[in-house]
Parts: sequence; C-alpha cells; structure tokens
Amino acid sequence: MRNPLIKRIPRELKSDWHKYLVIIVFMVVMIGVISGMYVGHDGMLEAVYSGREVLNLEDGRFELSKRASQEMLDAISTGEKADVREYYINKGIEEADKEVADAIEEELDSQVESAIEEAVRAQCEAYGITDEDVIKEQIDTAIDASYDEAIKEARESEEFRTAAEDAYKEAHDKVVEKVDEEWDKVADRYNLNDEFTPVKTVIYEHFYREEEEKAGSHTSNVRIYRSDSEIDKASFLEGRAPESSDEIAIDRMHADNVGIRLGDTIKVGKKQFKVVGLLSYVNYLTLHESNTDLMFDAFGFDVAMVTPEAFANLKSRIHYNYAFKYVDAPADRVEKADNSGAFLKALITQSLVFDNEIDDYLPEYLRQASNFAVSDIEGDSAGTAILCYILIGVIAFIFAITISNTIDKEASVIGTLRASGYSKRELVVHYMSMPVVVTILGAVIGNVLGYTAFKNVAINLYYESYSLPTAYSVWSNTALVKTTVIPLLLMFFVNLFVIVKKLQLSPLRFLRHDLSKSKRTKARRLPSWSFLRRFRLRILFQNMPNYGILMFGVVFIELMMCFAFGLPDSLNHYADEAGNMMFADYQYMLMDYRDEDGNVIETAEKTAEPFLATTLLYPKKESSFRTGMGSGGDESVTVYGIIDNSGFINLGSSLKEGEVLISSAFSKKFGIRKGDTLKLNAEYENKSYEFKVSGSVDYDGAVAAFMDDTSFRSVFEKEEDEFSGFFSKNEITDLDEQNIATVITSEDITKITVQLTHSIGGIVGIFKYALVVLAAALIYLLAKIIIERNEQSISMAKILGFKNKEIGSLYIIPTAVVVTVCSLAGFAIGFYLMIRIFRVFMLQMDGYFAFFLKPASAVLAVVYLLVGYAFVSILDFIRIKRIPLDVALKNVE
Amino acid sequence: MNENFLEIKDLKKSFGSGEARQEVLRGMNFTVKRGEFCVLLGPSGSGKSTLLNIIGGIDTPDEGFVSINGDKLEEMNESQLTLYRRKHLGYVFQMYNLIPNLNVKENIEVGAYLSDKPLDVEEVLTTLGLQDHKYKYPNQLSGGQQQRVSIGRAVVKNPDILMCDEPTGALDYKTSKEILALIEDCNRKFGSTVIMVTHNEAIKYMADHVIKLRDGVVRHNDINETKTSAMDLEW
Repeated sequence: MRNPLIKRIPRELKSDWHKYLVIIVFMVVMIGVISGMYVGHDGMLEAVYSGREVLNLEDGRFELSKRASQEMLDAISTGEKADVREYYINKGIEEADKEVADAIEEELDSQVESAIEEAVRAQCEAYGITDEDVIKEQIDTAIDASYDEAIKEARESEEFRTAAEDAYKEAHDKVVEKVDEEWDKVADRYNLNDEFTPVKTVIYEHFYREEEEKAGSHTSNVRIYRSDSEIDKASFLEGRAPESSDEIAIDRMHADNVGIRLGDTIKVGKKQFKVVGLLSYVNYLTLHESNTDLMFDAFGFDVAMVTPEAFANLKSRIHYNYAFKYVDAPADRVEKADNSGAFLKALITQSLVFDNEIDDYLPEYLRQASNFAVSDIEGDSAGTAILCYILIGVIAFIFAITISNTIDKEASVIGTLRASGYSKRELVVHYMSMPVVVTILGAVIGNVLGYTAFKNVAINLYYESYSLPTAYSVWSNTALVKTTVIPLLLMFFVNLFVIVKKLQLSPLRFLRHDLSKSKRTKARRLPSWSFLRRFRLRILFQNMPNYGILMFGVVFIELMMCFAFGLPDSLNHYADEAGNMMFADYQYMLMDYRDEDGNVIETAEKTAEPFLATTLLYPKKESSFRTGMGSGGDESVTVYGIIDNSGFINLGSSLKEGEVLISSAFSKKFGIRKGDTLKLNAEYENKSYEFKVSGSVDYDGAVAAFMDDTSFRSVFEKEEDEFSGFFSKNEITDLDEQNIATVITSEDITKITVQLTHSIGGIVGIFKYALVVLAAALIYLLAKIIIERNEQSISMAKILGFKNKEIGSLYIIPTAVVVTVCSLAGFAIGFYLMIRIFRVFMLQMDGYFAFFLKPASAVLAVVYLLVGYAFVSILDFIRIKRIPLDVALKNVE
Repeated sequence: MNENFLEIKDLKKSFGSGEARQEVLRGMNFTVKRGEFCVLLGPSGSGKSTLLNIIGGIDTPDEGFVSINGDKLEEMNESQLTLYRRKHLGYVFQMYNLIPNLNVKENIEVGAYLSDKPLDVEEVLTTLGLQDHKYKYPNQLSGGQQQRVSIGRAVVKNPDILMCDEPTGALDYKTSKEILALIEDCNRKFGSTVIMVTHNEAIKYMADHVIKLRDGVVRHNDINETKTSAMDLEW
C-alpha cells in the first residue's frame, strides 16, 4: 500500500498555490537564467576554443621599430639568446679600430711628412740654401712628389706593422677589459645569467596599419590587417573576406554598435571601401585597442581585413608587428609564463644585436583582447551562480520556516501519527517531499527554459558586448550540476536540518503542543507602553526567526540595488567628470623626438608643451590577480617628466630629485599616501626605480606619476634635447602622422563608459525592477508565514471585537518597521560592501574607476523596496480580513 | 480471554523537580487480559492519561514496567517502540487530530498503511457509518463524525490494543453514546483489547474490567460480570 500521506502533496500545492507559485517562479527564473547562462556560455566557449585551433591563434606578439631582417627573425625563432658580450665587444672593437686607424693614419702622415722635411732641409743645407721660403717650397714639392711612395714604404716597413698591431691589440684589449668590467651590470639588466631554456618559435609577419574610419558621422580608429595573413585569422559571421582592393571586412561587434551593414561604404584613411564581411578575429574577441585599456571599446575602435594590394595603398605608417607560435605548445599557464619569459630574453638580446628596438611585446595569455571575454563570461556565470545560491538559500530558509510553521500547526496530527506508529523517518520524508518536489519542478522547468529561451538571451547578451564567433549548442554538465544538483542539495539539507531538528521531540510533546525548545518560564518584561504597542512588540519577538531571514534577504537585495543604481551612476559620473579629469586636452605621444632626417620635431602650436614619459610597472599583490584576466599582472604606470613652469601640471617648487607626485587615481586605487616609497619596475628590463611620494595631482583619468624633467632625464638616462611628446590645449595639425604614436583626448577616457553603458545599460534597468519583484516576493512569503502562524489569534481578536484595521495595524506595523529599518541598514551595508567589491574588482583590472551613487539613487534604492513592500502589505491586509471567525472556535485541524 | 496480555507492575512517574515535583503514578499494579474492554476511571489528575501514554510507549515510567505479551516496554529502544506502536496499537484521542487535507477514506488509510494485517477500509467505513462521507474532508464533518474517522484510523490497523483517551470528552450525549457503541462493536467484532481512559462513571458499565484510579494508585480493580450495552448507558 502506498503511503496515503503522499496524497497531501498535490493538495498542499493546490491549496496554497500562491505561495508555491511565487517560490516556483522564483526558482524557475533563477535556475533558468543560470542554466541559460551556462549553456550559452559553454556553447560560446566551445566555439572560442575550437576557433583558437582552426584560426591559428598566436602565442604572442611583438612589435619592432623597423622591419626585421630574415636573419634576425631566424635568430629569434631559434629561441636562443644572442651573444650580447660578443656584440658589445664587436661593437667596441669596431669603434676602437676606427679610432686606432685614424690615429695611425695621423701619426703616419706626420711621421712621413717630418721625414721628407728633414731630408729636404738636409739637402738644402748641403746646397747652402737658407731662405726659409725656398726651403718650404722645396719641402712642399718633395711631399707632393714622394709622399705616396714614402707612405707606401712606411706602411710596408716592419716597424709600422709592429706598431699598428700593438696599437690594435692594445685597443682591443681595452675594449674587452671594459666590457668585462661592465658585464655584470649588463647581464643583470638583461637577465643574461639566469637559468635559461631556449623556446623555439615560428614567427609570422603580421603587420598592420591604423587609420581613421568614417562611417556616416561616426569616426573611429581602425586597425587593418592583410587578408593573406596566416596567423590570427578571422571567422565570418556574415559575408566574406575582401577579394578586391576596394573591399573591406570589419568587426561584427563594431559594425553592430556603429550601425554599419554589409554592403555599406566606409572611408578608411583617404580611401572608400565597401563592407563585404562582418568578422570576428580570433585574437580580438573584445575590441581592446591597447592591452592596458580598462575596457574594450567597440565604438571607437575597429579591426578590419583588406587585400594585400589595398593594404599597400594605405598611407599611415606600418606597425612592424610579428606574431609567434611556440613549436611545442605549452601545457598550462605556468608553462606559458615560463615560455614567454624565455622568449622575451631571446627577443630582447636578438633585437639588441640586430640593432632593432622592441616597441611592444605581449604574450597571448596576457592579452586582454583574446582572454577578457572568456574570463568575463566565466566570471559572469560564477557570479550569477553565487547570486542564485544565495537566493535559493533564502528560499530554502523560507521553506524551512514554512514547514516548521506547518509542523507547529500540525503538532497534534504529528503526535497522533507518531503515537500510531509512524516513524520519525517517515515523517521527515513526508515533510521533506514538498521542498524537494518544488525544487525539482523549478529545476526541470528552469532547465527547459535555460536550454531554449534563456540560452539565446545569454548568447545575445554576449554578442552585445563581445566579438564572438557563432556559438554552438552543447550539453553542459556544469549547468546540470550548478542549476539542478546544487540547488536541490541546498534545499534538501537546509530543510532536512530544520525538519529533523523539529521532529526530534517526543510524540507526547507534539500531542501537548509543547514544541518550544527553551524552558523559559518568565515572559520578557516590556516597558509600560500602550497595550497595542506592547502587543506589537510581542508579535515582533514571536516572529524573530522570520524577521532574521527577512533581514538577510533585504540586505542582499539592497546590495543588489546598490549595484543596479551604482553602476550606471558611476559610469555617468565618470563620463561627466572625464573633461575635468584631463590635465591636457590633447596628449600627443611621438614615435621619436627626431624625424626621419634626424631633425628634432617641432610644432607651431602655441599651447603645445613638450613632456617626457615612460611606462613602468607597479607590482600588484598576487592575491588580486584574476586568472586569465587580461593584463592581470602588474599595473602600468605612466611616469611623466614635466618642464619647469608647466602650463599643464603644477609640480610646485619643493619637488626634489627622486621625488614624484602621483595621480589621485593611483593614490586611491592602491592607497598610496604622501611620504610612501614607490617602487616601480621597468617593463622589459630587470631594473627598478624607487621614488618618494611627495603628494598627489588631482587626476582620476589614469594611474600616473609626475616628476620634473631634469630628474626624469637623469633617472631614465635621456638626452638633453629628448622628449616624448606634447601636451596641448588645441589640436596640433602640423605633425607628420608617421611620427605620432598615439593621441589621448577626453574621448579615450569616456570610451569605457560609452562601451559599458551600451553593454549593460538595458540589463541594469531590467535588473532594478526584477529586484523590486524579488524583494516583494520575499517579503510576501515571510509576511504570509507570520499571518498564517497567527490565524487563530487574529480570529480570536476579531471575536473579541477588534476591527480589521486594528488587527491589520497589529500584524502589519511590526513587519513594516522591520522592513524599513532593514532597508535602511541594508542599504548602508550594501553601499559599504559595494565600495569594497568595486575596489577589489578594480585591483584586478588596469586603470581606475571609483564607485559612485547619486543621493537620489540612494533614496530610490530604499524607496523601490518599500514600494514593493507596500503592495505586499495590501495583500496582507486582505488576507487578515479574510480570516474567518470560526478558526478560533472550531477544532479544525 | 484468560491470559494476562498486559501487565503493569509497580509503575511510578513524577513530573517536575524539587518542591514542584508531583508524583502522578505512585506504584501502580494491574493486569489486563487479551480482548478485554478495560476502562481506566478517575477524576482529573488521577494519572490515567499518563498511564495510558506509558502503556502506549509514548511516555516512560520512572520505576516499574509495562509488559505486553511478555515484552517489557522499557527494554525497547526508540525504533522498537515505534515498531511496537505500529504493529500493536491503535490510538483514539479526545481531539480527533485528523489530517485536514486528506479525506475521510484517506485518513483511515493512514492507519491501514501502517499495519501488516489491516482490515478492509470499506468495511470499516461501513461499520462506522461513514460510507456517505468518505470523500469529505475533516472540516466538512461534525465533531462526532470526525471522532468516528479517528476511531476508523485506529481500528483499521487491526491493533492488538485500542487506546482511547477520553474519546467522548468533546462530544454531546447522543454522539458520545454512538461513539462508545462503535468502540464496543470494534472490540467485539475485531477482538481488539480496548483500554479506555475516561472520567465518566457511567462508561464503566459497558466494560469487562474497571480500574479506578485516584492520586496515582489503583483504588479499585473490578471485573464486571454483566455488561451494559453502550446504547443503554445513561448519564
């Protein structure tokens, strides 16, 4: 015979359908969204991973200041370090030889001339010629006539050969001696003495140009690659690769954002191109223009593909970018880091000996553009899963309280069943079935929706932000575990714990309704307030566990509210402040301070002021790294050398050598204060610098440090006339594009906000309202429990003559007070936590961006929740009104 | 009906401690034979409900023992006691304690489910006069009808002992007599030993065995030679 108690489950579901509907919808949405996220994200990742193979993703890239010779590329690809000692010796010998040769020539010349002069003077004397003018004339004639012969003779003499050999030898010995003397310093600088295993690579030319792209009124920067590239290829979401010199394929995400369609014509540089393809480059899943960018920028930056002919026709300078792949693929991140370190040593030494300069180096595993999306997708789902578990935990507790309440209500029945022979286990199983059934129901419906509707929502969300290839549909075990197994276990154990604890009591105590654990004999004494106030206080004490859960839920929701309001507020605030953040309207970074002809670059722009700059690294704490998260490692710090009486940065007069001012962003991000010592490391050399922080400059736009130009030159060994670029109040029009490396304007600062607003704007809006619904649902469930628990008392109060309004005030006001207090406290806690969370998040990224919440948003964050509660209290009042009088009179179990 | 099915020996039980300590059972001794209709009679506070709870294995004595069919309850652990209640006992309380969202038939099935040798549910429904109400929920029934269901839930197990704690305490005169008649009927028809706790003196006339309690001890232990049918009782 089947246990007849099973029949209670569907009836319970039916009779209390509002409650269970709220819970199931809650779970379906949560589980569905998470499941959709996982399925979408697994499908997406699958597409990304397979793309890495098929499209031949690089293992890293480097950019040189000039095109590398084949010999140099061959040398780099061996992975061997160049013989730097030999290079310095050879270079020294070359210079020494020149000097010795010059010296010998001079000496020989003077010796031969002296010998001829001596011989002529002797002859003149023999002939009795004393006139000095005649003698000089004779000497000149003799030199003209026999100089070459004499030189030849001298050169062939044994004496000369010995002397020259000695001179060369001495010079060479000196060079070797000097190199050896300096060797330790050099070796240390290039890490030449470290243990080293060469890593063989295949190197690909992967040149690009950067041009201005104009599509309608929108202008952006486009990085253009050739269509015949064998590395870092693209997959086409629409259209095809360019085939003629007036065709171009551009990034799908950029086209989406800017509104470019297939078949449109865009202007790139000075040429018109027809857009024939929308692509996703395997190394540009996010459009990060620079690896140090805080956020990608699909509005202002684009990547494109043109034919080799079209590439040759473009006018902007070629970036001599090379991509490499390891011959033996590294197994993991550790190996990738080791390989990258070894490769960099080879690259640095080889470029040194081949007289080339490294402009940029980036191993793929640190590349934001190919790792940011992947890591963000993973981060998203992990974050959402945690949210889901918190909410399911809250639901589990609500369930547990509901069941605990039901057990209280059914105490006599339970006592009777236990007395009749039902075992504790059977009753635990019985009371456990409802949460398990509801969770399974929620999980099944949620998963079905996850694999259908929500998957596409998730994928579209990713497409809104990233330049991803077409996603596959894959079965996700992670989704199953995280959306079904974990919630089920969470629900199961929370309820099991509460139910088992509750059913521990003896049958007799159930029969006697003696269910309280504490043996408190005295009631809590209350102040001599009015009867109604004391009554309310008693209700508050009676429902403490419910209010505890409510408190937790409200704090959680307020935290989310702070996020939902704070993110757009922070973005807007940052965008509004961007103009003020710039200390110069234009910052021109030059390729070099001299042009191709060796002349120092100048400008006629009156407001232009030269500055010096270099990039150093500020080491972050290991704990703040986020695996796979773009540049992850150290923070890039731009160190500026500012001229005296600068019109842009006021250094004050007290800045001494070795002292710097840091930007306010730098100070806030890492909590660096005046008087601290700042240790910064060189990017590609094993060199570090220490500075004393003597104050900060109000500049939130970037992580930067400022020092005077004299100190800068001495610290970074710069020439007297050397500089890195210009600050300017106006656009500088007389600089040759070829010489400009980058221009930084306020748009570069706001691009992050434009991108983020586009990517998350819509979702955040929906999120706010979802939170109100969530808050209302949570309060609804808990308030319902409080009223259900007191049905008999409410009914009795009605019999005694209390009006519905009075009863309403008794039972609704305590909850209202708790909700209001919790909302305010929750907001304060949420706000504080959000600032912390934001800071931790910022530490993982490059750059700085502070959390900001408008006062109006702070008010709204609380008001929204209270509005949600207002609806619930109306429902509560209706519920109180509907409680019949006979509940207190009849023995209706 | 000759063997001593239930034996109560030197049973003592007290509640509270120190000055508040109250001895409810102070050395109680008696036996009940299989199939007997035994009434435990006494005023409030005489210890009759405590005694019934101890016999039912839902309370434990401080001293002495209860033995059923030779098995001592105090030697059983919790799961054995549960099994004992499951296999041998049927309970009827003053409050009916029915499950609100199961109908009449299903409430009776709750008892049947526990038993290895349950009676036919339909037959029990007929015996109890509940055939017309079997699909109704408890809140659609009168107090008397609810108590019938409660009896049905107890007897359908075909228990060795039917424990009834003031089964008519909440009922009117007429309904009380009907309920008593039903219990009498079940005792006769299904052969269960009935132990009924009541403070109603009139009920003793329908019993085989009357045990009168006062202040925690057995004051009278009488065997009725002639019984009065429940329907003929007057009070």
